[in-house]
Amino acid sequence: MIDNGLLVQMLLGALLGLSVYLPLAAGQLSLATPAFYAVGGTLAALLSTRWSVLGATAAGGFPVLSLLLELVLGGALAGTLALLVGRLVLRLRGIYLAIATIALVEIVRVAILNLPFTGGAIGIFSIPQPFTDASGYLLTALILLVLTGWICQRLDTMPLGRAMAAIRDDELAAGCMGIDTTRVKLTAFVLSAVVAGTSGALAAHFLNTWNARQGSFDVSITTLAFVILGGSRAWLGPVVGGLLLTALPELLRPVGDVRLVLFGLVIVLGPVLAPRGLVSPELLERLGRWGSPTREQKP
Amino acid sequence: MIEALLQTLLNGAASGGVYALVALGYTLVFSVLGVINFAQGALFSLGGYLTYLLMGGRIGVNGALPGWGLPAGLPFWLALLLAAAGSGLVALLVERVAFAPLRRRGAEPLLALITSLGAGVVLVNLLQILMGAEGYAFPQESGALAGLPEVLMIGGARIRTIQLLLLLVCSAAVVGLSLWLERSRGGQALRAVAEDATTAQLLGINSDAMVRLAFVLSGALAGLGGSLIGMSVSLPGPYFGIGYGLKGLAVLVLGGLGSVPGAIAGGLLMGLAEALVPAEASGWRDALAFAILFAVLLLRPSGLLGRRTVDKV
Repeated sequence: MIDNGLLVQMLLGALLGLSVYLPLAAGQLSLATPAFYAVGGTLAALLSTRWSVLGATAAGGFPVLSLLLELVLGGALAGTLALLVGRLVLRLRGIYLAIATIALVEIVRVAILNLPFTGGAIGIFSIPQPFTDASGYLLTALILLVLTGWICQRLDTMPLGRAMAAIRDDELAAGCMGIDTTRVKLTAFVLSAVVAGTSGALAAHFLNTWNARQGSFDVSITTLAFVILGGSRAWLGPVVGGLLLTALPELLRPVGDVRLVLFGLVIVLGPVLAPRGLVSPELLERLGRWGSPTREQKP
Repeated sequence: MIEALLQTLLNGAASGGVYALVALGYTLVFSVLGVINFAQGALFSLGGYLTYLLMGGRIGVNGALPGWGLPAGLPFWLALLLAAAGSGLVALLVERVAFAPLRRRGAEPLLALITSLGAGVVLVNLLQILMGAEGYAFPQESGALAGLPEVLMIGGARIRTIQLLLLLVCSAAVVGLSLWLERSRGGQALRAVAEDATTAQLLGINSDAMVRLAFVLSGALAGLGGSLIGMSVSLPGPYFGIGYGLKGLAVLVLGGLGSVPGAIAGGLLMGLAEALVPAEASGWRDALAFAILFAVLLLRPSGLLGRRTVDKV
């Protein structure tokens, strides 16, 4: 039931979950992940087809090195966009920030739909394949996930991660203690965009086609659900949430049309049944140090 | 030239009226609970489909009940009211399932965002299973326009009667709601809960009942909007409400979160701005609302007519 193709999707889901988690770890609810995902994917799709600078070989193959370059470029472009937009939107708080990031998602979606070179509603298709089967993608996605997870884990012991946690607990107090809150929030936002942009670039090749629908508001919902259901207190939460919730609609395929209704019910009931997510602080305590920040609890 | 402008302005005001309805729905819930009900877009779709069914429309072949339909169609105005009531009741159900359990636990407001989105996903997909994914055009023979001609000539401009009707119904709903909020005991109680739920409760107002009332009203407004859009354009599929729900969100922030006059003014402004987009750039029209929203959020985060609040530490 779970083949390599589904595994790649699950890993991409986990990566997008981490992309939503990073700003949230600094207390910022950003739903902009699909916008950056779409930007990364579109860039990769363009570079490997229409603009063809990275040269698909005559045999229809595509050098793996070019793919890696695209991953870097996709992440860089998304990160640059985040740097520009973040300066403006991160002044907003709470629900205002959430709505502003939804606006960004919609603007990017409409732009990709209407720009003269992104293929309109059909999008860009026949994106060349660097690998002959899904296992190559599996390995690449796994490396990306391990790398991102490692960075998130490292963050907890670094000044940046501690500053993010401080802002999450109390932004005003963090500012008073001398933390440059704007810079820290912006860094988290840019990191989130880089993860999403890189994932988008990989997804464009994996899916073989790319269009504006890949980065719609639906993706904002599902990726946020990854974090909320998985647990937003440690990076392991969104990874677990992303893996499970991406697999769920596929595993529910035998029940047919009802599967999306069931998926919706899981999203409704999840926060009610497990308000702190599957990877809850209690569970993390039991697991000990492994995969968790386990910051000392206040007495 | 003048006629064309008149036509454009009326079209803009008509869709602006619908945006105002959606935004008012958000406003009612936001003012009493401080959260946004993301199922609003799905309730918008639901209203459209309910009106379609009540008017005697038949379900297409892709639905679970192919070819099924009510034996007799109701007139448009009656179907509209019943559909609004039906959407209001489903909104109450959404409140019970997605909001009440979280409130009882005193959970983070962020979680309500997820659960209401989940409720929207359930609603839209149920519609898709029952009715199919295909588009529907409203049955026109059941006297929707009460014998009025389809096109009216006003000052030399050709105006679709349904657009005028749409504007009238929206205005009536908005004015009625504003008056009710301002004048009636129930409206005052609702505003008291919005101001301060604890104090209102101490003064003998049942704030739980007021929360339920806010949900019913907001669902009814969404259902009304969906029905009107369905009538004036068509029902392109169960997801059509989501786009209106998102634009309503933009209007909500444009006018200022929790402000009733703001939601109305924001809706009209957004509708007019969209109507003035030239046809060559119509593909970009959907981004306009969000571009305006972006500009407003950055220049004036409390919205055009919102109150500036000061965070206390």
